[in-house]
Amino acid sequence: MKINIIRILSFSVLLSVLASCEKNDNGGGNLVVTTQTVRDLPGDTILGINTATGQPYGAGKYTFYSLENNKVVSSADSATAKWDIGFRGTTIITNSGNSGPGQGGGFVFTGLFDDLKTIPADSTFRTDNAPTSYAITSGSNRGWYVYNAPVNLVTAIPGRVLVIRTGSGKFAKVEILNYYKGGVTPATTDSDDIKLRRQRFFTFRFTYQPNGTKSF
Amino acid sequence: MRFFSLFIILCCGFSALAQTPLPKDSLNPVDMDEVVVTATRSERLLGNTAVPVTLIRQQMIRQSGSLRLNDILGEQTGLFITQGFGRGVQMQGLSPDYTLILLDGEPLIGRMGGVLDLTRLTVGNIRKIEIVKGPSSSLYGSEALAGVINIITDGSGQRKLTADARYGRFNSTDLSVDGATRLGRVRLTGFVNYNSTQGYSLLPNSIQKTVEPYWRLTGQQSIAYDISDRTHFKASFRQHHEDIVNSIVVQNLGSQLLSKGKELNNDYNITPSLSHRFSDRIKTTLRGYGSEFSSRQLLDVAGAANSYNDRFRQRFIRIEDQTDINLGEAFSLNIGGGHILETVRSNRYDSLETERRNTIDYAFLQQEWRATDRFIITGGVRYDRNATYASVWSPKLAVQFRPKSNLRLNASVGRGFKAPDFRQLYLNFTNIAAGSYSVFGSLVAGEEIRRLQADGQIDQVLPAFGLLQDLKPETSTGLNVGLQYDLKPGWQAKLNIFRNDIENLILTDIIAYKKNGGQIFSYLNVAEAFTQGVEVEMTAKSFKKLDVSGGYQFLITADKSVLEEIRGGRVFKRDVSTGISSQLDRSAYAGLPGRSKHMANLKVFYGSESDRWTANLRVIWRSRWGTSDLDGNGLINRDDEFARGYLQVNLAGGFRVNRMLHLMAGIDNLFNYSDPYNLPGQPGINPFLRLSLKNPGKKDNQLSIK
Repeated sequence: MKINIIRILSFSVLLSVLASCEKNDNGGGNLVVTTQTVRDLPGDTILGINTATGQPYGAGKYTFYSLENNKVVSSADSATAKWDIGFRGTTIITNSGNSGPGQGGGFVFTGLFDDLKTIPADSTFRTDNAPTSYAITSGSNRGWYVYNAPVNLVTAIPGRVLVIRTGSGKFAKVEILNYYKGGVTPATTDSDDIKLRRQRFFTFRFTYQPNGTKSF
Repeated sequence: MRFFSLFIILCCGFSALAQTPLPKDSLNPVDMDEVVVTATRSERLLGNTAVPVTLIRQQMIRQSGSLRLNDILGEQTGLFITQGFGRGVQMQGLSPDYTLILLDGEPLIGRMGGVLDLTRLTVGNIRKIEIVKGPSSSLYGSEALAGVINIITDGSGQRKLTADARYGRFNSTDLSVDGATRLGRVRLTGFVNYNSTQGYSLLPNSIQKTVEPYWRLTGQQSIAYDISDRTHFKASFRQHHEDIVNSIVVQNLGSQLLSKGKELNNDYNITPSLSHRFSDRIKTTLRGYGSEFSSRQLLDVAGAANSYNDRFRQRFIRIEDQTDINLGEAFSLNIGGGHILETVRSNRYDSLETERRNTIDYAFLQQEWRATDRFIITGGVRYDRNATYASVWSPKLAVQFRPKSNLRLNASVGRGFKAPDFRQLYLNFTNIAAGSYSVFGSLVAGEEIRRLQADGQIDQVLPAFGLLQDLKPETSTGLNVGLQYDLKPGWQAKLNIFRNDIENLILTDIIAYKKNGGQIFSYLNVAEAFTQGVEVEMTAKSFKKLDVSGGYQFLITADKSVLEEIRGGRVFKRDVSTGISSQLDRSAYAGLPGRSKHMANLKVFYGSESDRWTANLRVIWRSRWGTSDLDGNGLINRDDEFARGYLQVNLAGGFRVNRMLHLMAGIDNLFNYSDPYNLPGQPGINPFLRLSLKNPGKKDNQLSIK
């Protein structure tokens, strides 16, 4: 079996102080929360198409990610609280319920990433009950993405923020920016082949609040 | 080449017969004394209808070299030919589902996905086409929401025999023979048309053709018998068969799977009618109508053991009576009513054994009051009582005022409706390959969900499920306000402003999720939308034999619930390069997909003094139109979500060799415009040749209105 070497992620503190980095002084501390962007994180990339069902398939493995440390967590640590979210195709898991032993959870917030300054007090954090339900609701037009069948493309719905409770019970907000390699959705006229090979590469930005509060 | 020999034979036959040239006729019916029937279901002068009516005459259809109905409709102001489920017509920004297509006053059936494929209709025997814009359900019932297109074939019975052959690119062949004769009190017509193409590919190296080969055969016959001066009997028959190659290619990381099959469609129409004039004031017409449409799709799926076999059969039987009463000079009345039985059998719904049926009883009344020479008021109402869905009232009021003899001001307001179709009521479809989604008609969804729940297959039932109820017909309130101004004989300007407010729009909505992630859709009356715009048309006969006309439509559409969401700040867009979301402004929302904001046409027709030579140039332009959402908000707002606007130029010229033989050559789409993704039906430049033979008969060859 081909094992993809997980790409070294180019994370960049791209948001300059002036432009978009949220600098908040929370709870009297001097912690500065920053927004980071992760590019081309593979989440179970396509190996082929099942000729019987016509459905594409990958290795079936999640890519685990720690928002706290801003890095990929080895799948050997999948049964620990070290990771916060996991990616496998369009399914995104949190370190909660039957997905992991952590204190995780989450929900999909409708609104702009920058406008979400405090997680509303009355929010309900959901937990995973794979494979029937996930904290981050799976399914086209149900959670964070929409699948456009005629053009065979997956698009992250704009104005959707994944509110994440991390493995260690802290809070973060995540916006999926793109599902395709290089952060560029293929053209509708590109071949299905290109659309398959380039998909399942996540580009997302996130803000992690290490002090345990729900404000960013 | 075999067609050529057919022509030699026909030539010989024709040359024996005497010839008289047809009278010269104007192409553009600026003459307001032309009689039209569709606007009021009774004969009216074109100038005396208070609703927008467009008339396309045979001469224009012939000189344009059109073959199928979509060819000629696509060149008319404000009409947009849609692609998908064949070719449909979008009128006043409303989808093809909402325009009623009549053949000699009777509705055509066999819509697929709501679209009546216009390529099923040849224009070879059409005498004229009347297009009425705005709701006309007060007279015609369901589907007459955006408007009505009435194709009127030549049943006048004037002796004639014509034959046409057209040959164009991709071995596209069209052959027609049309004849009519009179035997005492009996008038007979017969028409046959054959149309075929080898198809074409717009994408190089593709196994699957953009348009696959097909052939079609249409026959139409009529018999009319004048039982007495007051009593007339008429019956017409039409048969249509089409045979279309069907192939589907599935890509699999470099390898291609090809599935091959066929689509076979048949339709039959029978239209007997009996009319009797009791006196100068009262006339009644009893009409029967039977139509059947059947479709069969066969596909040998690559790698699958069983071939796919889809069957569909629809029947429509109607009996109707209409009585026209003149109450003196100023009043006239049309009263009518009828009964419709509609049935469908399909393995898409259930099994072929189960027949789904609906019956409709209806009555209508229309009254016209000519208050003065300058003022006409027409009011009408119709009631349709349906067995399987909610009943509906359709009122209409139209007013015409002529402040001056050359200026007409028109205003009309009416309600139109479209009944839920069988698909929306009974569809029972599960796609196992593509994500295991299901679509259930509103009348079967409840039962199916309960069945799946009992099987433990349902993950979640959504609130939309609770909204499932008897579907209401989709309704629209349409307003048309316009004027016609005759500058001088042959010169005319027309303006029409329209607004259509559509309610109870039926859309598919997700009602439940299956445990395997599959979505379950059904049909709900959920949406409201509007279309509004302005249409301008000008016609000028600038020289003796030069007809110039032009038209323009400006159109704005929107889904009202989307507007509300935008106002509430709940709609977002995503920047292509940064991927960052932001709020969507009202100005960025382009309205309903598939609508061009601007559409225009310009036509120049020339005929030489002797009428021996004719030539014409037709230019059609439409601005970009929304095709597919790409930034995930379900709306058309980004530049890459539009198909490019385009200009199409068509040229044709004719030469009358002698009284019998006429030659024509033309080039459709002179500048070879094509867009394989958004205009698969546009093959690029298409030169053609046509040969016509005619014998208009010894006498009475002048077209007259019956």
